[in-house]
Amino acid sequence: MALVGNLRDFALADFLYLIDRGYKTGSLQLNRQSDEAMLYFDKGKLLYAARSQRSERLGEMLVRTGKVTPQQVAHAVQLQENDSGHALGVLLIEQGYIARDELQRHIQMQIEETVYGLFGWPDGEFCFNAGTKLDKDDVQSLVPLGVENLIMEGVRRVDEWGRIKDHIANTDMLPRFVDQPHEKAKSINLTPDEWRVFARINGKDSIKEIISRTGLSEFDVSRIIYGFIAAGLVEVTRPRPANAPAPTTRAGAAAVAAGIPKRSLVSRIINRIRGM
Amino acid sequence: MQTVKMVISGAVNAGKTQFIRAISEIEVVSTERKATDDTKDIKKETTVAMDFGRISVGDDLVLHLFGTPGQKRFDFMWEILSEGMLGLIVLVDSTRPETFRETNRIIDFFTAYRDAPYVIAANKQDHENAWSPDELRLALRLNSDVKILPCVATERETVKNVLLELLYVIMQRSTEE
Ligand SMILES: Nc1nc2c(ncn2[C@@H]2O[C@H](COP(=O)(O)OP(=O)(O)O)[C@@H](O)[C@H]2O)c(=O)[nH]1
Ligand SMILES: [Mg+2]
Repeated sequence: MALVGNLRDFALADFLYLIDRGYKTGSLQLNRQSDEAMLYFDKGKLLYAARSQRSERLGEMLVRTGKVTPQQVAHAVQLQENDSGHALGVLLIEQGYIARDELQRHIQMQIEETVYGLFGWPDGEFCFNAGTKLDKDDVQSLVPLGVENLIMEGVRRVDEWGRIKDHIANTDMLPRFVDQPHEKAKSINLTPDEWRVFARINGKDSIKEIISRTGLSEFDVSRIIYGFIAAGLVEVTRPRPANAPAPTTRAGAAAVAAGIPKRSLVSRIINRIRGM
Repeated sequence: MQTVKMVISGAVNAGKTQFIRAISEIEVVSTERKATDDTKDIKKETTVAMDFGRISVGDDLVLHLFGTPGQKRFDFMWEILSEGMLGLIVLVDSTRPETFRETNRIIDFFTAYRDAPYVIAANKQDHENAWSPDELRLALRLNSDVKILPCVATERETVKNVLLELLYVIMQRSTEE
């Protein structure tokens, strides 16, 4: 049993939201042309991400950040070739070239970068297999990552309108905070511009009004709100249609006008269908 | 004779015709026409107009079921259909995330129009790769107060259940007398 589709139709941010709120465990495989990525989740959190065409290998990253020397990496690679099976990171630790927690931090960063890169895919097949567990002993004691910050960061890198329009049809829409803002809301890191938009959300002002009050561009405000939506903080609703029945206490006449049926009629239909 | 109306909508291939066929007393009237646009690679022949089914409730009361396509160019029909409708069922093909966006557009459209009671039917649950109702709720960002029901349009019992669940929602909104 798998959830399959294309990122063109169902964005990565939406998928991560599903994983987070659905408390999912499993693997998400993504394919685009010859590129492939594999993400593992445990109870709604990201455990691991790897991409076939990754921009930078672990060794390169550690050298770039000055944590190890090129010679040390070369040595570890050599050991790896002689005595197969061990991950580079494990060998670097064993040789005393790097501390475990330092390595851990870098692997974590690399995982995050991998996911951010995937937000740039305009399309690509996805396949989520529920229940699949990460089968890796080389990556030690991975710290499960909450996905909401990944979503926010990923969305910051979205530069096309298409994705945003999926959730925000137009600037007349009203953003408001979701009813149960979730514990997670507390752990989301926002940029100053994001805070400015965040602070303007009151359930009454439309996006258009927020744009004019913050002085940010329509694109930026929309993208920021899209990020809030993707992370499950905010929802947008349409302004109430002019012709929608207004709330009223004079049930009788108003009900008829609004087409609200009588209880007796509804229960007759219910009985009929039950008996079918 | 009083006539009441329910509307069944959803993207192409969601199972509207099948759904109405499963429960209607009469042979479903479907206006089949050759699709002329983007829908044509999904099915060779698709119902671009609508389906009509009927359930008689008594000598003086009849329930009409209208299946209406979700494509944007049929928006004008929804306007006509939603006039006086008792409620709406939005069918979603649970195996095809490429139709989720369209499904949301349909929900948006109807709810923007009228404050009509509606439920979502997560159709094709018999399919191996069907997204579950819970997964669909997250994927479609449905509020917790919107019912999303498992459905297999080819099985009458699940179709009955969807109709009944919609009727319970309608019941809550109905007036005393
Ligand atoms: N397996 C399965 N197939 C279904 C189900 N509902 C509809 N179908 C099939 O899906 C296709 C599209 O259904 P149809 O009713 O024509 O969709 P419409 O375009 O919404 O009217 C048809 O081949 C149906 O037989 C279902 O619940 N399970
Ligand atoms: Mg049809």
